[in-house]
Formats: sequence, structure tokens, C-alpha cells
Amino acid sequence: MNALGQPTGRAGHNLAGGFDVDRIRQDFPILSRQIHGKPLVYFDSGASAQKPHAVIDAMTQVLENEYTNVHRGAHYLSQTLTDRYEGVRETIARFINAPSENQIVITRNTTEAINLVAATYGRKFLGQGDGVVVSAMEHHANIVPWQMLRDEKGIELKVAPIDDTGVLDMDAYAALLDGNTKLVAITHCSNVLGTITPAAEIVRLAHDRGIPVLLDGSQAVVHGIVDVQALDADFYVFTGHKLYGPNAIGVLYGKAELLAQMPPYQGGGDMIATVTFEKTTYQEPPYRFEAGTPPIVEAIGLGAAIDYVSAIGMEAITAHEASLLAYATERLTAMPDIQLFGTAPEKAAILSFIQQGIHPFDTAATLDRAGVAVRVGQHCAEPLMARLGVDGTVRASLAMYNTTAEIDTMISALERARTLFG
Amino acid sequence: MTIAAEKLAQYNEYVEALEILDEESRFEYIIDIGKRADQTPFPAEAMDDAHQMHGCMSKVWIVHGHDGDRHNFRGQSDAIIVKGLVSMMTGSFSGLTSAELADITIDHVRGLNLGALTMQRQVGMMAMLKHMQKLSLQADRADAAD
Repeated sequence: MNALGQPTGRAGHNLAGGFDVDRIRQDFPILSRQIHGKPLVYFDSGASAQKPHAVIDAMTQVLENEYTNVHRGAHYLSQTLTDRYEGVRETIARFINAPSENQIVITRNTTEAINLVAATYGRKFLGQGDGVVVSAMEHHANIVPWQMLRDEKGIELKVAPIDDTGVLDMDAYAALLDGNTKLVAITHCSNVLGTITPAAEIVRLAHDRGIPVLLDGSQAVVHGIVDVQALDADFYVFTGHKLYGPNAIGVLYGKAELLAQMPPYQGGGDMIATVTFEKTTYQEPPYRFEAGTPPIVEAIGLGAAIDYVSAIGMEAITAHEASLLAYATERLTAMPDIQLFGTAPEKAAILSFIQQGIHPFDTAATLDRAGVAVRVGQHCAEPLMARLGVDGTVRASLAMYNTTAEIDTMISALERARTLFG
Repeated sequence: MTIAAEKLAQYNEYVEALEILDEESRFEYIIDIGKRADQTPFPAEAMDDAHQMHGCMSKVWIVHGHDGDRHNFRGQSDAIIVKGLVSMMTGSFSGLTSAELADITIDHVRGLNLGALTMQRQVGMMAMLKHMQKLSLQADRADAAD
């Protein structure tokens, strides 16, 4: 039985009895593992979340009974799996309230989605001297593609600063929206600080000046309801593996009029309408941007993950994670040797910190001995580390399946680290 | 080529010490070595880019010297556990010729029985070994060119 009170392998649609973290934990088989003889405490969901039975079973079912290629065969398996695959596009569209499934482009991950926009929209519409605004707390995936475009086309990369609590400086951001700025590409939730940015306001200010906005929703889509129409986002990108789905699948949402104007990303099968040696014509979006055999099984897995999350209810997940964040923040700030980075009022359950006088690697290694899995280092956000004035941090990123008891385990392990290294 | 046991005395001492410890005690043993490494100060001027190994979650510096064809190493890190690991590596494999160093393999690293602590550390220790092998060969080539 899963947390929805239904046999595993079937995504449920009703949650009887409210949010029950113990039952949710039973849906994630890996959470019963022991690491170094201790129960696994998985606080690395910001890097990649664990997978529920619903996802594992859906993918296994396809591989065992339904697998073939999609969009090609004139046979039963191909037609039925194509229907399921395209059905996932509808599921994704509903999940982020996109107006149409034709605005959902399947990619490999967030990184590819941003690279796709940079390589198509960016190459076509951005030129010498045009500005792209990012924030000081971007993941490398939302920095490097624009730097590559800068080197190729001579665009200017502008960085909106943050304050010491990790809040985006909106006055400084607005000031960057001057005449030459042609695109804004900003995170919806920092992978290091947990800061949830005022995305709707970011978009409104940019739109007042006719500037389109890409929002990196890799972390945001996991922790709260995302409505791309309410945000009025021009592009919204996220990845499957942080959303309890498989890796190797991501999503690019784009406004229809923008996608329609964008040239193809990669060439190959599936993205063409007709091909002769003299001339090739391309499919309409989203297929124009999906060359080659897509991640079929991964798409089915992502669909199952979204069904699973939706059935539990994103509001309930957000509330549970908010209580975890409050508890973890209280426990960590009560420790005199802990320096916490990122204390924005709007924040997801991501906690970056260091223990004074102890290298983050030593802290993380001690947590590992206690079965607590965290990430350590720069978190693919080297410029943010420079802004914070540290070489790296320990990051505990929490998810719907975590508990306050697990936070207590982490705190005890931090106390042991103080004893070992202090 | 089999390296004479007496040339790996320090390595064998580590192997013998670690094999009687349980995993948790091994963890504390490495920390202890890391803490004791500072009793012999690492030259501050060597903690620079030229001596830093890149690609680690912590900073690692290795300095090299040689006495004839025998190569000697000292290691340092800003993380105590890694300092313990690099001290074990430099302590274990100093005093060897470059040809003897070339015969040190992943099996020697596995022989320390630290893999269970985490794979990453074993991979990191292999990177340290390869760095030491590279330094020894560079020094040999420089000597031959003189």
C-alpha cells in the first residue's frame, strides 16, 4: 500500500487521512536502507530526490510489457505507448498550469532546457551589446549558457545582487532592466540558500519594459505550486529527478508565440516535417525541439511522479516542509558554532551552513557516518560562494519524506563533529 | 616488479593498524593522523596554486623533493580527514624510485581498507597517488635534462 492507501504501482488520486509522513516514507523503498549501520537520513533531495514505488513500478511496467519506440510504428505497442507518452505532456502541462501541452518541450534536464533557449531564442534574438540579467545566486546551469552566448554573440551578462540574508535586491534588479536588457533568466528558488524569489514581481517589472523572462524552477517546482500563467513566465524550466521522478528528463515550458519563432535546437529524426537533400522543413513546437528518440520510459516515470505528488497535494507537501524548515532552523541556530547561509523570509527547506572552525567536508563526513546524506562544496554555484565569502558549505536539502526525528539525528551528528574536530 | 617490504614499512604499518579496527574506529584513526600531521608544519609557501591538486571537495597540496632517485612527498589539506588521507599516502609512498612508485596501484590503496568509508575517498586517494607518480617522473626527466 502506498501513502495514498492504494496498492503500489498505481498512482492514487485521493488522500485519506491527510498528510502522513510515515506512510509516505513506506512508498520510498530506499528509505528503509541502513548506511554504516544507521538508518538512512536522506537530506540530499536538492541534488536528486528519491523515487517512490509509483515511479519505479510505472517504469518497470513499461519496460516489461509496453516498451517500443514512440511517434513511429504503425503497430499496437507504438500507438499505445505514444498515447501514454503524449499523455505525460498533458500531465506536465496541468501540473504547471500551462495553457497547452504543445508548450511543453521534453528535454534531458534543466541544463539542456536553458541551453536550448540560449542556443535558439538567444542566438536568434540576442546580439552584440544586448543584456541578459541573472541573479547572484544562480546555478552554473543558468550562468554558463549565457556566458557561452556572450563569447559567441557579444551579449552582456548582468548580475542582480542579493543581500546578506539571500534576498534578491529588487531595486538593483529593476535598475538593470535598462535599454539594452533583452532577457531575464533568474532562479525561482536558490539551490543553495533556499530563497524563493518574487518571481511574479520579477516578471512584471521585466514585462513593463517588454523584456521576456526565463525562470529556473528546478528547486521551486518541488516545494510549491507553480502556475506559469499566474507568473506570466515566458520560459519555465525544471528537471524530473528532483521531483521524485527519474533522471535524464527535463521540461521547457515556453509561451506559444515565442516557441513558434524559435529555430530548431538539434537536427535529426522526430523534429522534421519533410527531408530532401535540397531542403528540410521542421515540425511545429514542441516536436521541433525534440530531435531523436525521446526519453520514453523516463517520461512515463515523470508522469507517475507528478501524479504521485499531485495526489498527495503540493499544498500539504509545502506545509510539511515548512514545519521541517522551521524546526531545522531553530535547532541549527541554537548551536553556537553553526553559521547558516540564507535566511530569506520566503524560503524552501534547503539549509546551507558551516560549523565554525571545521571544514565542510569534515562535517559532511561525520554526518555520513551517522547515515545522514548531505551535499558539501560549492553546489554548482561558485559565484554565490564568492559572494558569501566561503569556499563551500554543507547543504541539507529536505523533502516530503523527511521528519523532525531525522533533523535530531543530524544535530547529534553535528555535535559529534564538534567533539571530533573542535 | 615487487617492491621490497622494507620500502613499504610505513604503508604496512598503516595496513596492520587499520585491519584490526572496525569501520568507526578507522574513521577516528584517520582524523587522528590528520590532527597529528600538523605537528610537523607544512611549508606555508607551498600552499599555493602550483602545489594544489584540483578537483577535490577540499584543498589538497603536495610538495615533492628527492634524494638521488628516491622521491619524498609531504601533503596538506584544509580538511582534517583529507589531511589524514594525504598524510597516509605521502607517508606510505615516500622513499621510492619513480619506477617503484609506478608499481603502486589501486590494490595498494584498497589494501588500506578505507573504501568502505566512502568510494569518493578511495577515488581521491588514487588521484593523490597519480599526482605523486607524475611529480616523480617530472623530476626524473628534469634531472636527466640537466
